[in-house]
Order: sequence, then structure tokens, then C-alpha cells
Amino acid sequence: MITVKNLYKSFGDNDVLKDISITYKPGECSLIIGASGSGKTVLLKSLVGLHDPDKGEIWYDKVIFNKLPFSEKKEIRKEIGMLFQGSALFDFATVEENVRFPMDFFTDWSDEQKRERVEFCLKRVNLINSNKLFPNELSGGMQKRVGIARAIALNPKYLFCDEPNSGLDPHTSILIDQLISEITKEYNITTVINTHDMNSVMEIGDKLAFIYKGQKVWEGSKDDILTSDHKELNEFVFASNMAKRVKELMKF
Amino acid sequence: MKNTLELFGRYILLMKVVFTKPDKKQIFWRQFIIDVEKLVLESIPIVAVISMFIGAVIVLQTAYNLESPFIPKMYVGYMARESLVLEFCSTMIALILAGKVGSNISSEIGSMRITEQIDAMEMMGINSANFLILPKIAAATVFNPLLMLLSFILGLLGGAIIIMMTGVINISQFVDGIQFSFKQYYVFYSMIKMAAFSFVITSVASFYGYYASGGSLGVGRSSTKAIVVSSVMILVVNLVITKLMLN
Repeated sequence: MITVKNLYKSFGDNDVLKDISITYKPGECSLIIGASGSGKTVLLKSLVGLHDPDKGEIWYDKVIFNKLPFSEKKEIRKEIGMLFQGSALFDFATVEENVRFPMDFFTDWSDEQKRERVEFCLKRVNLINSNKLFPNELSGGMQKRVGIARAIALNPKYLFCDEPNSGLDPHTSILIDQLISEITKEYNITTVINTHDMNSVMEIGDKLAFIYKGQKVWEGSKDDILTSDHKELNEFVFASNMAKRVKELMKF
Repeated sequence: MKNTLELFGRYILLMKVVFTKPDKKQIFWRQFIIDVEKLVLESIPIVAVISMFIGAVIVLQTAYNLESPFIPKMYVGYMARESLVLEFCSTMIALILAGKVGSNISSEIGSMRITEQIDAMEMMGINSANFLILPKIAAATVFNPLLMLLSFILGLLGGAIIIMMTGVINISQFVDGIQFSFKQYYVFYSMIKMAAFSFVITSVASFYGYYASGGSLGVGRSSTKAIVVSSVMILVVNLVITKLMLN
């Protein structure tokens, strides 16, 4: 379980996160939603320790992660998998080497064990016969799959996904969403996803938090989001004319 | 001035992170071998071509300027050797490598920074600076002095070839000149310079790449800065080492 308590982060005079408190449970896909520039990515990067918060606490189970020294943070990070917005696959490595990368650093497994684990992870994300390809030879959807395979390589307890659907067509987006959701349930992972894709929200959102101008202004489930009368949330969710008409029809 | 000091401070802090014990020795050595190939072996062709042509030009220029019958012709070989070993094979080759290797390193690391590959490593708990930069510094600092030796030999060979082609002096006079009053210490001095220059090139280029920002334009800017700053630093280090070692 991850618990965030009164988190603040600013860059110069720009207060990006203001008093964020939230809890993420295992086996759930928790979504952070909000418009571009609302602070979602900064929140996610603060959670994994890529940004140091100015104030507040980030608890990983019974440990305050952001107060730990580097060496102890490293131990927690071994239990974290992350899927980046652009996949962030290593250009210098093949698909197989990308997935194997964290194993080389953090395990003493034999080559055979690593090979088996790589095969398992790639099969789990439905990627076969691509082991020897380099990232620039893969489609966007395949890159995301490799990113997920790399993120689950060490059996993480926590999975973070930054805009997993960006740049993908609607069909591939849903496949990636379903894959993340399946993995979350299957391995009882605490999954936190950043998104502004409403399809994702309705497809896999077990728990939602709406960030507006750096503040968490709404929290609830995907059913609550349709009936909420929160002004900013409604402006975000029902931004298009079609969505507004759907909302009108729902009133009847 | 404040910016320069701030930049220097960041450079020192980065080097402090770079020079830590690698997470896994096996991975370090694997990267080291890859970087020896990429930074040193792949530089051999350009170093060879430039060294042979410059060696030939130095011999021709020296021969045309030593027309006095009172100066023995073997001095052409002697002066070519001294020019090559003292300055050309270390400083000039280092300036060329600052362009070739420096831009390669800063653009590679810079691209990794803007595509979040470095963030991905950090997030996994890997010391990305150590993993990416230390093998490059080690590979270039250890093996580029051998590149300097190769450049020296090929420079002299270029001189010998042009003499045989043009007959500007007798080849035996050239060989006598090369052997005349030879000081091994100069070779050592030049190798030390090359090692120091290699450190400057790789560490400065890595620094600018590691802190690249602003998309592909930012990577281009960091690459240019890396070349300019490392070239100036090479000239400063050259002056300091010369003062210390040849005083």
C-alpha cells in the first residue's frame, strides 16, 4: 500500500503540487486524472523518487520512502516497476536485453533463469518473436508492451504508468489498459496510472483522483465520475460536445 | 562568473557520483569493452589519415624552410619528430577527438536524458551516471594514449612516404634525424597529456549530455557546448601540464 500525506512540490515560484493526500491499495488500478499541466506527472515522479517533494510524506507500506537515504531507497525501488510515457526503452539494447536489464543489476540468477524469466514476461505481454529487435524497429504498442514486460521483470509490488496510452490508437490503448489491469489483479500489485484518456478511466479505473491546478479536488470511482456535480471535473470529463450531450441524456 | 562557478560545481558533483563503485563489476567491464570499441577503435581511421597527412606536410614544410647548406638535412627528420611528439599527436589529435568523440557522447547521453531512459535507470535504483559515464572515461583515458603513439608512428611514416615520393631529402637523412637526440620522456609527457585530454573530453561531454534539456534542440546545443568547452579546456590543460612536466 502507498500512502501520500500532505505532499507539496514547487519548481521556483511555480507551486506544482499543493497538499496532496491519497492512498493506493494493492490489487487496484488507481488513476490520477487531470488536464495537461495539472501536475500529474510531477506527482507520479515524486512517488517513485525522481522528484524530491518539498514537504509531505510518501509511505510505502510502513516506510517513509522520501525520507530514506539513497541506499535504502534503492531497496524499495527494486520493488517498483514503471512504464514511461514514451516507453523509455534503452536504444542500445534489444527487446530481450531491455527486459533483462534490471535482472542483470539486481539478481544473481543464472543466464538460463534470466532467459526463462524474459521469455515469461514477453509472453505475458503477448509479445513473441521480437526478442532480437531494437526499440526503433517496434511499433508504439509493441514498445509499450516491452515497457510493461521490463516493469514486471522483477515481480514488482508497485507499478507506475505515466500516460500508458499516449500515441496509441483506441484499440491498442484498450489492449494495453486491459493488460495493465490483468497484471495488477493477477499479481496483486499496487498500480498507479496517470492518464487523461477517458476510455482508460472507464475501462480500468478502480479508484480515481482528479488533480486540478496541483490540488486533488475530487476522489471516487468510475461510476461516481459520471454523476458528480464537481464543476472542474465535469469540464474535464465532458469536454467534447458529444460527451456533454451524453451527460444531458443521462439526466433523464 | 556566477554561472561558470555553478556549472563547475555541478560538474564536480556529477563526477563525485560517477566515481563510485560500480553496482556490478561484470556490467562495468562489459560497458568498458563496448566503449573502448566505440570511442577508441572507431577513432583509429580518422587519426591515421590525419596523422599521415600532417606528418607529410610537416616534413615538406620543414624541408623547404631548411635550405641553408650549413644546416644538416637530417634536421628535417628531427624537427618533424619533435613537432609530432610534443604537440601534434597529443593536442591536435585531442582537439579532433573532442569533435568526434565529444559530440558522440553528449548527443548519446543527451538523447537518453530527453527520452527518459536515464529516469528509467534511476527509477530502477541504478546509478545512471556511474553506469553510463565511468566506462567511457576509463576507456578513453586508458587507451587514447596508445592512439597518440599510433598517431606518432603514422605521422613519421607519412613523412617517410612523402620523402620517397618527392625526394625532397634523402630517406637515410630523415631516419638519422628521427633517431637524433631522442628523448623517451617526451613520449611519456605526450601520453600523459593525451590521458588528461581524454578525461576532459569524455567527462565534459558526458556532463553536458547528462544535463541536456529542451528536446532535440537541447541535445544539439549541449553537443555544441561540449565541444567548445572541452576544446578550450584541452588548451588550458595543455598549458598547465607543459609547465609542470617540461619546466
